[in-house]
Amino acid sequence: MTSKTLAVYRKEIIDALRDGRSLFAIFVFPFILYPAMMGFMSWIQNKNTEDARALSLRIGMVGEAQIPGLADSLRAVRGVEAISLPAAPVRLEGANVDAVLEVPDGIAARVAAGDSAKVQLVYKESENRSSQAAERLEPVLDQVRRALTVDWARSLGANAQAPPAFTVEKRDVSSKDEMGRFFAALLIPYLLVFLVAAGSMHMAVDATTGEKERSTLETILATAATRGELVLGKTMAVLTASLTGALTGITGLFLTFNVIAPLIPGAERQSMQFVVGPDKAVLLLLTMIPAAIFISATLVAIGCFARGMREGQAYASYFYMATIFLGLGSFGQQSPPPSRFFIPVLNTALLQREILTDTVNSLHALTAVGTSCALAAIMLVVAVRLFSNESVLFRT
Amino acid sequence: MIQVSELSKTFHDRKKGDIPAVRGVSFTARPGQVFGLLGRNGAGKTTTLRMLATILVPTSGTATVAGFDIVQKPAEVRRRIGYLSGDTKLYDRLTGKELLQYFGALAGMTKGAIAARMTELTEPFGLADLLDVRIGRMSTGMKQRVSIARVVFHDPEVLIFDEPTAGLDVIGARNVLRLIQDLKGKGRTVIFSTHIMTEAERICDEIGIIEEGRLLTDGSLESVRSRSATRSLEDVFVDVVGATAAAEERR
Repeated sequence: MTSKTLAVYRKEIIDALRDGRSLFAIFVFPFILYPAMMGFMSWIQNKNTEDARALSLRIGMVGEAQIPGLADSLRAVRGVEAISLPAAPVRLEGANVDAVLEVPDGIAARVAAGDSAKVQLVYKESENRSSQAAERLEPVLDQVRRALTVDWARSLGANAQAPPAFTVEKRDVSSKDEMGRFFAALLIPYLLVFLVAAGSMHMAVDATTGEKERSTLETILATAATRGELVLGKTMAVLTASLTGALTGITGLFLTFNVIAPLIPGAERQSMQFVVGPDKAVLLLLTMIPAAIFISATLVAIGCFARGMREGQAYASYFYMATIFLGLGSFGQQSPPPSRFFIPVLNTALLQREILTDTVNSLHALTAVGTSCALAAIMLVVAVRLFSNESVLFRT
Repeated sequence: MIQVSELSKTFHDRKKGDIPAVRGVSFTARPGQVFGLLGRNGAGKTTTLRMLATILVPTSGTATVAGFDIVQKPAEVRRRIGYLSGDTKLYDRLTGKELLQYFGALAGMTKGAIAARMTELTEPFGLADLLDVRIGRMSTGMKQRVSIARVVFHDPEVLIFDEPTAGLDVIGARNVLRLIQDLKGKGRTVIFSTHIMTEAERICDEIGIIEEGRLLTDGSLESVRSRSATRSLEDVFVDVVGATAAAEERR
C-alpha cells in the first residue's frame, strides 16, 4: 500500500465524516432505528391485543343442545353473544355472526357406537372479528372434546361423572439467554450483510460518481497517483464505513434488546440476552471482512461506471437489494448443501450462522472465505479497470 | 518542454460512429514561454490538453512532456505537471489546508515537504486566512486562490491550463494571468488554452490556432500576425478560422 493510497483513504474518510448523511446513517440511525422499531412494534401489538379484547362477538350455535352445558359455556365466554341457529348458514355474513359452532345431528349415538364424529367451528381467518372468535372459543372446544370422551366412556359402561380437567399444552422452557442465542444466530448474519451494504452504498457512490458530478475527477486523474492507488484508497475508505456501519448497527441492536426493551412498557416480553461472546464477535468480524471488501469493491465499480449520482444510486440500490435477498437466503437453512457456500454474501451469512451455533464445518468455512476473497479481488480489478477506462469515465 | 507530434484522438459514439476530435496536431512549447492554444468551443483544445495531462490516451501520434512520452510513461508525466481547468472544482468538505495536503500527498511529497511548501505559499497566495476554512464556505475568489495554490503546490515543471479564466470575474481572471506570467518568469513551460484573444495577446509567446481538431497555424505572435494582413490577433483568428469554416461550408 502506497502513501498515495493512504492519502486518498484519509481524504475520503474526512470527506465522509463531514457529510451529515453518512454520519447519521452510520452513527445515529442504528441507535434511533432499532429502539424506535421495537417501541412501535410493542405499541402496535399491545394496541391490537387491547382492541381484540374489547370486541363483542356473535357466535352461532347449531345442535348445541346435544352436548349438555355447551350453550352455557359459550355464553360464559367474555364478550361473546351466543345465539341458536336452526341450521348451519351458507355464509357467516348472512346469519350476522362471526363464527358458527356446528354439532352434527345424532352425535351422541355415533359416539356411543364408537363411530367418529366431527364438531366444527366455522370461521374466517381472513377477518379479524372471526379469527378473534375462533381464538376465544379455543377453551370451549377443549371442553367439547372432553364431554364427548366422557359420553363415549359411559357408553362402554365406565362410571365417568364429569370430564377430567386434563389439558395438553406447549410450554416454552427457553431461557432469555437461549432465546437470545437463537435469535442472534438467525438475525446477526443477515443484519451484518444488510448493514455492511447499507453503510457502504452512499459513500461508494459519493466517492466515485460524486467526483464526476462535482467536477473534481480531472484534478485527481492528472496527479502522480495511479488509477489503482486511487481506487484502492477509495475502496478502503468505503470498507471502513461499511464495517463501522455494521459494528454500530449490531451495537444498536444489542442495546435495544438488552437495555432498552426491558424499559419499554409492553416490550419486556421481547427482551432477551442478545449476547455474543468476544471470541465469536472476532470471528464474525474476520469472516465479514472478505465479504465487505467484495461489497465495497462492487459498489465502487458501480460508482465508477455510473454517469451521475442518480444513476449511481439507482445501480447501487439494485445491488443493495440483491445482497439483502442473498442474506435472507440464510434464514431457515439449517444444513445447507456445500454449493451454497460458493454464492457470495449468502456464503458469509451461512458461515456466520455456523459460528454462532457452534457447528462450523471447516470445508464450508474454507469455501466461503476463499470464494469471498476471490470475488473481492476480481471486483477490485474490475473497479480499477473501469476507473482506467476513459470511455467509461467520460461517457455522457 | 512539450513536444507534440501528430497527435490524434477519435471518440466513438454508438449512434454517430467515429468522431475525430483532434487530427494530427503537432507543436512545441518551450520552457520560459507560454504557448496559447486558441480555438472556438469544440475545436479540440480540451481534448488536446487532456491528452497532454494523460487523462485521455491518444488514438495515434504522441507527445513528450518534460522529456517523458505521454503514452509510454504517463505516471512520470503526471509527476511533472500541474493541471487546471476552468471546469474543475474543489472538495467542499475539506479545508484549504487539507486539500493542499491531499494533493501534495498525491504528488508523492513527504509530510515535511508538504509542510514546508505550505509555509512557502501562504504569503504569496494569501492563504493564511483560508487554510482552516472549509472550501464549501469560501467565496469564489478564495476558492480560486486555493485552486491555483493546488496546481503549483508540487512545483511542477510543466503547467497545463485549460480555459482557466472561464467563469471568473475581471479580478479573478487577472490573478490567473499574473500567475501564468510568474510561472513563465520562473522558467516553467506553460500551455494555456482560451478563446479570449485579448488574454492570449497579453501573455502568450507562441500560439497555435486549432479548428475542428486541426492545428491551422502556429508560431510566435509576431509571425502569426505577419501572415495576415491585419494586426489584431482577433482579426487573425477570424481570418484563419473563417477561411476554414467557409471552405467547410462550400464542401
